[in-house]
Amino acid sequence: MAGRRNDEGLRGTGRFQDILVNLDRRIIFLAIAAAVAFPILLPLNLPIQVSNEARAYFEEIERLSSGEVILLSLDYEPDTMAELDPMTLATLRHAFRKDLRVVAMTTYAGGVGIVERILGEASREYGKAYGTDYVFLGYNPDWSATMLRMGESIKRTYPTDHYGRRTDEIPLLSEVDSYEQIALVATIAASALAEYWVIWAGGKYNEKIITGNTAIQAVLIYPYYQTGQLSGFLGGLKGAAEYERLIERDGAGVRGMDAQSMAHLLIVCFIIAGNAGFLIQRRSQRRARVGGGDA
Amino acid sequence: MWGDLGIVVAGLLTLAIFSLLYKDNPVYKFAEHLLVGVSAGYYVVHYFYSSVIRKFYVPVFQQGDIWLLPGGVLGILMLGRLWKRFQWISRYAIAFYVAAWSGYLIPSVLQERILVQIAGTFPPAVGEASLWTILGAILILVGVASILVYFYFSAEHRGAVGRISRIGIVFLMVGFGASFGYTVMGRVSLLIGRFQFLFEDLPKSLGRVGP
Amino acid sequence: MKSTGPVILGFLVGMLMFIQYFTPDKWIEARYNNVLDWKQVVFGITLILGVVSLFLYHWRKIEKREAGWLYSIVTVAGLLLMIAGAIAFSPQRGPYTWLFDYVQSPMQSTMFALLAFYVASASYRAFRARSFHAALLLTAGVIVMLGRVPLGELIGFSAGEKTYSLATLSTWILDYPNMAAKRGIMIGVGLGITSTAIKIIVGIERTYLGKGA
Repeated sequence: MAGRRNDEGLRGTGRFQDILVNLDRRIIFLAIAAAVAFPILLPLNLPIQVSNEARAYFEEIERLSSGEVILLSLDYEPDTMAELDPMTLATLRHAFRKDLRVVAMTTYAGGVGIVERILGEASREYGKAYGTDYVFLGYNPDWSATMLRMGESIKRTYPTDHYGRRTDEIPLLSEVDSYEQIALVATIAASALAEYWVIWAGGKYNEKIITGNTAIQAVLIYPYYQTGQLSGFLGGLKGAAEYERLIERDGAGVRGMDAQSMAHLLIVCFIIAGNAGFLIQRRSQRRARVGGGDA
Repeated sequence: MWGDLGIVVAGLLTLAIFSLLYKDNPVYKFAEHLLVGVSAGYYVVHYFYSSVIRKFYVPVFQQGDIWLLPGGVLGILMLGRLWKRFQWISRYAIAFYVAAWSGYLIPSVLQERILVQIAGTFPPAVGEASLWTILGAILILVGVASILVYFYFSAEHRGAVGRISRIGIVFLMVGFGASFGYTVMGRVSLLIGRFQFLFEDLPKSLGRVGP
Repeated sequence: MKSTGPVILGFLVGMLMFIQYFTPDKWIEARYNNVLDWKQVVFGITLILGVVSLFLYHWRKIEKREAGWLYSIVTVAGLLLMIAGAIAFSPQRGPYTWLFDYVQSPMQSTMFALLAFYVASASYRAFRARSFHAALLLTAGVIVMLGRVPLGELIGFSAGEKTYSLATLSTWILDYPNMAAKRGIMIGVGLGITSTAIKIIVGIERTYLGKGA
């Protein structure tokens, strides 16, 4: 279990600290797997507090009136769907529940299959019709040009929808052709795409933007929220869980929060163990140097 | 039926990828190469349909919009990359793309990422906000200013510049710490997604296809 | 012709896209829209080129029986199967979407889920408080890690009507020092992007065109 050498390549000076700093990686892997698996099988139902930014995201959709159109851009692929799918589903449920009309699109080719699956699930649940209540424009190459071109004409940017139907023949799009007719842009994004929606749809066309982001990306979003360039955002699976609580419809986000807590706690324990071993070892080595090393 | 079978296939492939955690093995390598091939196939179909068909063939040849013809020509020039002798031709397409991007990036980035952000850094006037809000805003101002001094490499980081940039490092370290915390959160969430699939969706499907 | 031509084209297109931001002129606006349309075609074909390169790489490996050529067969077969599925049936149904839903999608997400194990292992092995700055990073990381999950909301105390928990502390870190750090980096990067973009348009920066430009 305990290796012979510590992480700095120095010979350990005692058994306890050796064990602390040299745990086999497979032990760590197993512990993480257990920390995630057990709360999924046996939920703890830890309470979830809602952050200001998630509440702002919720309120931006909540204040819209029936019939208004939102543009929902799902800018992610299967690699991050565990974090972002719950946000997408919750946003669609919220929008359909309020009878908002949804224009969906993606700037990632790998996002097409995801959008079709979730749009299908949410539209069936609320009995929404394609073409009048919602439309899926599909994937368009070059996200920056797409965002800017849509400011001039959505129908020219997308001559056809994802299913090859001419966009000028789709009823929902008969009265919608640019950001001017769109009440809100919501982007669920895995990368810096939310920033570029802010820069182009927000900056150039004064569109109101809300975003759901992966945790990694969310930390970079705070400056835009503080300046008001973003009206609200969801950060990672926790953000999804907060939003699910706000719309009173628990999903994969809420279900994942116990496992998230346990895994974080375990990782913190590993960090403490690693550092404790490191500090004990460093002190022992200093003592050894002072006691006999200089002789 | 196909859906349930698919979930079983997905379960097996998920386990094949997880097998890397034990050690590199042929099952993992098979799954990895299959992923690369299937993904490439999936993407190329969408790239072809969305760019060549929808943005070039339909508007030019079906709707007669000849203004979109140059896009296709530039795209064809790009194919010069495939032959060493003609690689220089693709420079026209690359120069067009990169310069166009640069052109519209300059004013937008200056406005939204620099000027608006600088404006947002200045504290509100006394009387307009609470004391805590103003103190928080001052903290942000000190942080942003000291980080910008830290990134200023035209002056040696000694004396006052050195002291200010050291304050900037403190803010950067806290920022990187926050990024680390969120990175852990993101990675764990992805694992939760897979485990929810293995422990919730998969057993349901096995129940349906089983005896 | 080989290097000056592309730079001149870049200058003209770059200036057009720059100027359009400041003028309502209809002709410029129309050309600006044309450039955006053309850009989308070039982008799509460039990505197709990437897939063609991947195919050729594996095809050559199979032809020459290089190490791992059997795995290359799997890659090429997967690629061709997807394309065949889309042509024979449709990109909206049939084997093409089935393979995405049950082969590509679960494997791609599992590939990234592996990182949870590696980030835990790396945190344990490499995340050491060796100096003041490292300790600061570590402390902020741990507070955010615990404070952004429900568990962190339970660790704290109440004073009167207010509750102070790890979640409160992590929110403060994210809203103030973290935000200052991210904004400082953002402004620095923004200045870098702007200066590089100007150099590209005026032809000072040409490395993106490849060797000999």
